[in-house]
Amino acid sequence: MPSTPSTLGDFIVLPISIPPLPSFPKPTTHYLYLRRNTPKIPIPSDSRSLFLTNCPVDSTDLHLRSLFASLVGPGRFESASFEDERKDTAHKLSPLDAAVPVNAVRLLQAHGSTNKKRKREEEEDAERSREDEAARLPSTWTRPLRKSGSTAIVLLADEKSVEQVLKACAKLPKTKKYPEWGAGDVASKVPALGSVWLKQHNRLCYPDPATLQQAVDAFSAVFARREKEAAEIAKRLRNEPDEDGFVTVTRGGRNAPASRTEAEEARKKMVERAEKKRQEMEGLYRFQLREKQKEEQEELLKRFEDDRKKLEAMRMKRGKFVPEA
Amino acid sequence: MDSGPAKRRKLDHSQDGAEKALESAVSTGGVSRSRAFILEAEELLEEVRIDYKTAFEGADQLLHKIKGSIEAIKSREPLPIIEAATRFEKKSKIKIPFPDPQPPKNSNYKVAFAKPAQFNVVGSYVSKTMVKTQKEHSVDMIVVLPQEILQEKDYLDLRYFYKRAYYLAVVAKALQKEFGNQGQLSYEYLNGNPLCPVIAVQPKAPEAKEEDSKNARLQYRIRIIPCAPEGFFPKGKLHLGASLVRRGRDSESETPAHPTAFYNSTVAAEGSFFSYLKLLRQTEKKCAAFKKACILGRTWLQQRGFGGDISKGGFGHFEWSVLLALLLQGGQKMGHAALSTSLSATQLFKAQIQFLSVMNFSEKPCVLGAENVDLEDHIESGPILYDFARQLNIAFKMGAWSAALLHQHAKWTRNLLSDSSADQFTPTFILRADLPSHTFDLFAHLNYSDVLDEVIGNDYSESRGRIWQLGSKVYRVLKRALGDKELGERARVIHIQTPEQPKWSLSEKPKDQTRAALEVGVLFDPANMSRVVDKGPSAGASAEEKEECERFRRFWGDKAELRRFERDTIRETLVWKSTTPFEICEEIMRYILALHLRIGHLEDDISFYGNGLVDLLSIKPADTTLYNVARKEFSTFERDIRNLDDLPLRVRQIAPVCPELRHASVKPPVFGSLKSGPRPMECVISFEASGKWPESIAAIQRTKIAFLVMIGNLLENSKQGVKTHVGLEDAHFETENLAFLDVIYESGPAFRLRIHSDLEESLLERQVKDKTQEQYLRQRATTQLATFRRLYTNLPLHGQTISTSVTRFPALSPTIRLVKHWFNSHKLSCHFTDEFIELVVLHVFLSPYPWDAPSSPSTGFMRTLLFLSRWDWRSEPLIVDSGNELTNSDRTTISTRLEAWRKIDPSMNHTVLFLATTQEPSGVAWTTLKGEAKPSKVVAMRMTSLAKSACKVIREEQLTLDPKRLFVPSLKDYDVLIYLNAKVVKSTLKTYEHIDPAAVESSSQNGGSKFKNLDIVTGEEPLPLAQHPCDVLLEQLNRVYGGGPLVFFRGQAGEDNVIGAIWNPGMQVRTFRAGMLASYKPLKKAKNNNKKDEGDEMDVDEDREEEKVEVEMNREGMLAEIARLGGIWWRGLR
Repeated sequence: MPSTPSTLGDFIVLPISIPPLPSFPKPTTHYLYLRRNTPKIPIPSDSRSLFLTNCPVDSTDLHLRSLFASLVGPGRFESASFEDERKDTAHKLSPLDAAVPVNAVRLLQAHGSTNKKRKREEEEDAERSREDEAARLPSTWTRPLRKSGSTAIVLLADEKSVEQVLKACAKLPKTKKYPEWGAGDVASKVPALGSVWLKQHNRLCYPDPATLQQAVDAFSAVFARREKEAAEIAKRLRNEPDEDGFVTVTRGGRNAPASRTEAEEARKKMVERAEKKRQEMEGLYRFQLREKQKEEQEELLKRFEDDRKKLEAMRMKRGKFVPEA
Repeated sequence: MDSGPAKRRKLDHSQDGAEKALESAVSTGGVSRSRAFILEAEELLEEVRIDYKTAFEGADQLLHKIKGSIEAIKSREPLPIIEAATRFEKKSKIKIPFPDPQPPKNSNYKVAFAKPAQFNVVGSYVSKTMVKTQKEHSVDMIVVLPQEILQEKDYLDLRYFYKRAYYLAVVAKALQKEFGNQGQLSYEYLNGNPLCPVIAVQPKAPEAKEEDSKNARLQYRIRIIPCAPEGFFPKGKLHLGASLVRRGRDSESETPAHPTAFYNSTVAAEGSFFSYLKLLRQTEKKCAAFKKACILGRTWLQQRGFGGDISKGGFGHFEWSVLLALLLQGGQKMGHAALSTSLSATQLFKAQIQFLSVMNFSEKPCVLGAENVDLEDHIESGPILYDFARQLNIAFKMGAWSAALLHQHAKWTRNLLSDSSADQFTPTFILRADLPSHTFDLFAHLNYSDVLDEVIGNDYSESRGRIWQLGSKVYRVLKRALGDKELGERARVIHIQTPEQPKWSLSEKPKDQTRAALEVGVLFDPANMSRVVDKGPSAGASAEEKEECERFRRFWGDKAELRRFERDTIRETLVWKSTTPFEICEEIMRYILALHLRIGHLEDDISFYGNGLVDLLSIKPADTTLYNVARKEFSTFERDIRNLDDLPLRVRQIAPVCPELRHASVKPPVFGSLKSGPRPMECVISFEASGKWPESIAAIQRTKIAFLVMIGNLLENSKQGVKTHVGLEDAHFETENLAFLDVIYESGPAFRLRIHSDLEESLLERQVKDKTQEQYLRQRATTQLATFRRLYTNLPLHGQTISTSVTRFPALSPTIRLVKHWFNSHKLSCHFTDEFIELVVLHVFLSPYPWDAPSSPSTGFMRTLLFLSRWDWRSEPLIVDSGNELTNSDRTTISTRLEAWRKIDPSMNHTVLFLATTQEPSGVAWTTLKGEAKPSKVVAMRMTSLAKSACKVIREEQLTLDPKRLFVPSLKDYDVLIYLNAKVVKSTLKTYEHIDPAAVESSSQNGGSKFKNLDIVTGEEPLPLAQHPCDVLLEQLNRVYGGGPLVFFRGQAGEDNVIGAIWNPGMQVRTFRAGMLASYKPLKKAKNNNKKDEGDEMDVDEDREEEKVEVEMNREGMLAEIARLGGIWWRGLR
């Protein structure tokens, strides 16, 4: 490929040669684009990480490891995090985050764990990830796929490695020796795709009931704890004035605040009663009847107009009124 | 309470325009729909109107010229008929169109020619009631034969018609001379009546200079119709019972002569042109809307294939207008007119339809203009619609079958016009309702040429020809066989189509039509047609009963046998071997026609059409049993669950939610297949309301898992031979449904259970409404709520709707299966929900206009395609009202909702098809899935275009169509084709709990211990399929590429081994940025001057200007990726 540009914007183009397969017997080239990682919110490891985009859909840690090994030799690659995985942590609630009673979300946010967290943050974090792990349901895939054209961040051993990688990439167009995807023994190390992958998926869909029960139990434990915490906070709040000296009024007995469902039901009943009353009053006065008649007339007029409009619209689409031959 | 004055005052103050509109709104009737009907009918009248000046340019002059040249013909002296004919034919090359039988050689009466007594132009040219869409436009001129050449006795033995033919030939000769070079002259039969040939003058086509313009000249022709002088023949002699053709049966004079009703009526009609012309003119004057009503009637008849021609049923515009005129005239019952002259055109039209739907004049004579006239005796000869004043049976050209069909069509249209919720206009006037494949469940071609002479012989007493006579015999036999009320009518309509007689040139004899096939159409009564045993009269001892049995035996021949039934009754019985309604009908027809008419002794004498579709899918009556078995197994399952003692909550309902359990899957459910792991049928379980559910969606989901595990354990403990597995959904969020329980019975059936929790719904609702939440969370909650409602509320109700409808319409279930098969074969089904297809078919059954609900799968399928091809989903919602519960205002609301959607989302990215039902008026439950339109706009357009081309093929090829052709996908439309390796797919269908497929794979690759594996395999039951692997793969492909570069198409999982895909043309070239939706490669030309030293890396500032770098889709790269995903799963990619 003579005129493939070596850079695209601030990205360096990294062509990868894809070996042919029996079902698609044609060698092809995939293009990976990479640059230094410069996220909006910097973190300490930025200087030794690379930002990749247009990852192949079957990328794995191992694939990238072997790719970088072929560029700058082994031992430089530390880890890779893919876009959907990062999204997972940002958007998808971990089971632990989800294990919060609905009515207590705000309570906990405002008054709950904050001060506690400050105290023993690290300890808490470790505990948290342990619990999270326990509560998580087993995955049903041996190997996830990436969305087409998605991104990844690769963490390398040190800043020097980053430089080396970028240099190596820049040299590629001269040598025309593109690294091969899944070179070496990657294929045998990663779980296979295809029919085995699908079979595995079906198997993994039916996990061991005991494992399942454990995950559910772990979750329930956390949930119960949170529920209790929330109840305590709510109870405390009822007795404690806040900074401005106000006491939050919460409905319910001495022990627990009323559940939200109850309140909703009460409201529904009230609305119903109002509606019934309104209906009874209808048609009682002469002005109501008159208004009703007028409304009906207007409605009639409106519908007539509507019909006309509709007809007009149909006329625009010609041929509607000619019998089919 | 008197609110009158107040109201009036208010009205006075309203504005002028509004008041007028109100007035017209009120005057045109109350209901919105019928108002629309009136407006649309007005529009139709405007659209089909002919501008007579331009359309019939030159017609008047031509008529004058013709008149002149006829008047100029010299008189011919009377000569004996044979002599005159031979002399005439020798001199000119023109044949005299004598009707059959030809005049006898020894007759001595004389024919002559003299100047016509009178000329006149009649028909719809004078009344200006022709329409543009007519097939042929003709201007009718009558030429009245002078009295001096006729004798009063001429009405006997076709003598009048011989004279008429001679007269016509003389006129033809003169006109040939005069106009031979200006146009084309030919003979044709007036209304296909072989007694009345006429001359047609077709003027040469004008120079085609303005063919496209709307008001171009029409291709009209002028017909010259000789007729008898008014009142010349004594009406009294021409009554329906008279036998006026006596010749040819002298030898067997002992037998009483048959009445020749048709002949008599033709003679009577010959003398009444003027009186009908007068009648129509008078009515036109009296009733302003008469003409318009006639045009509407003409259109209605035309769309149903009716016309004045005998082969078209013998009921055309003329009969329609005369009937209407008679109804408008006084002298009906109690001396009043049936209809008021002040009615509007649409009202007149509706009234006439009402009349036709009530009066079945093929069974009971209908006399207009007099009371107490008994014509019962003559009904055998044909339908009677008797105009007493003019002593003519208006329906004399109709066969019993065409009258029955007309009656049926009128009934259907009446039903339509009284259904205020349907679109009344289009089915009434626009749709073609005469295609046999749409109308009849069975269609047969009879090849009768061998038996015609045998059955009919040289019997000319029926003037409509021998074929017609045979047709009527066939009808009588079939009517008795299939429409026997005692046995239970198998057929609702039996229709006979006789061949049409085309025009022929002046120098020839009329073309022999005996080669053309006789066509028979049958419309089933689905409840009775599938009956295998007919119970005839009981074989009692009384004389009456004996006679009954004798008659039965005489008709059914050897097929009738005595059988003993319950309560010791012994009856004459018929037992048919076939099983499906179609085959039974075929068997009966073959048997009875061979028995009575000797048709069908040879296999190919009768060819049947209409079953091809059913054969294609091999739909069997036994399938119903399989579905019922599945239902029964489900009840067992339900009982087992309900019988569990230790459940913490009481079960409220277990509802099936899969097509197998509502008779709607393409293939009926089969249990215990060895080829794959069990494929559970999906159900939903709901419990009584409880406060025990935790107040968090995630916690509810977890609780459900615990619940499922518990139910599984309880079931396994309480029932022998039940195996359960808790399976995980492919969920992305903790708040989604996470798991299901598969219950597998040893005997084969398997069920999948999901738990419904009512608290989940209210929590989701609260999240959707919560404005303080972040937008993406609310969006997600909305999608989840939709999914929730779909699964737990809508699907169970839908299942009920379909199940009840299936019992109501026997043809519904096979039609649904056929339509689904069609969607599958065109690789559309992965874009449509099952429920959508089912509801579309249901709609065709609930709103079947202009017909009745389909009574066989093939008509149901054809009409569904017709509906799909015509559905303008951009602006019309599809409303399926299975319970007949929606009010008009509900419907308006639904339409408004669609309009609102279109306003919010004009490019139709989120909402495309809109399908509202009684239970689900929101309209998007079945056409969106997980927040995405299903199908998308592109796919919906493809559906419409596929249905359109299918309908076109059906219309063009009619019965010769091979139904397979409708199911052949056009693979060339796809950019990419992925071929599945069927063997590998099959192997993927079975997985085991304790066998790691990766290990098996590697060990078998190493050539290792195959047998060890086998040992384990034999001992273990395969796991159920969480999802069909093809579906899983497609889902993954869609996740990876979906919404972006590729749109995938595929039919049913496991059946269709080719996946088609289309590149998104809009994403071909894009500006480069991070995180695009597809794999891209750099565009080669994008190389700029910016090529720096490679070592210098990128300089952010420098590259700013180059930020809009374009990249191209890396198609091959993506195909290679797909190939890697599939591995040996693919057989190939293209």
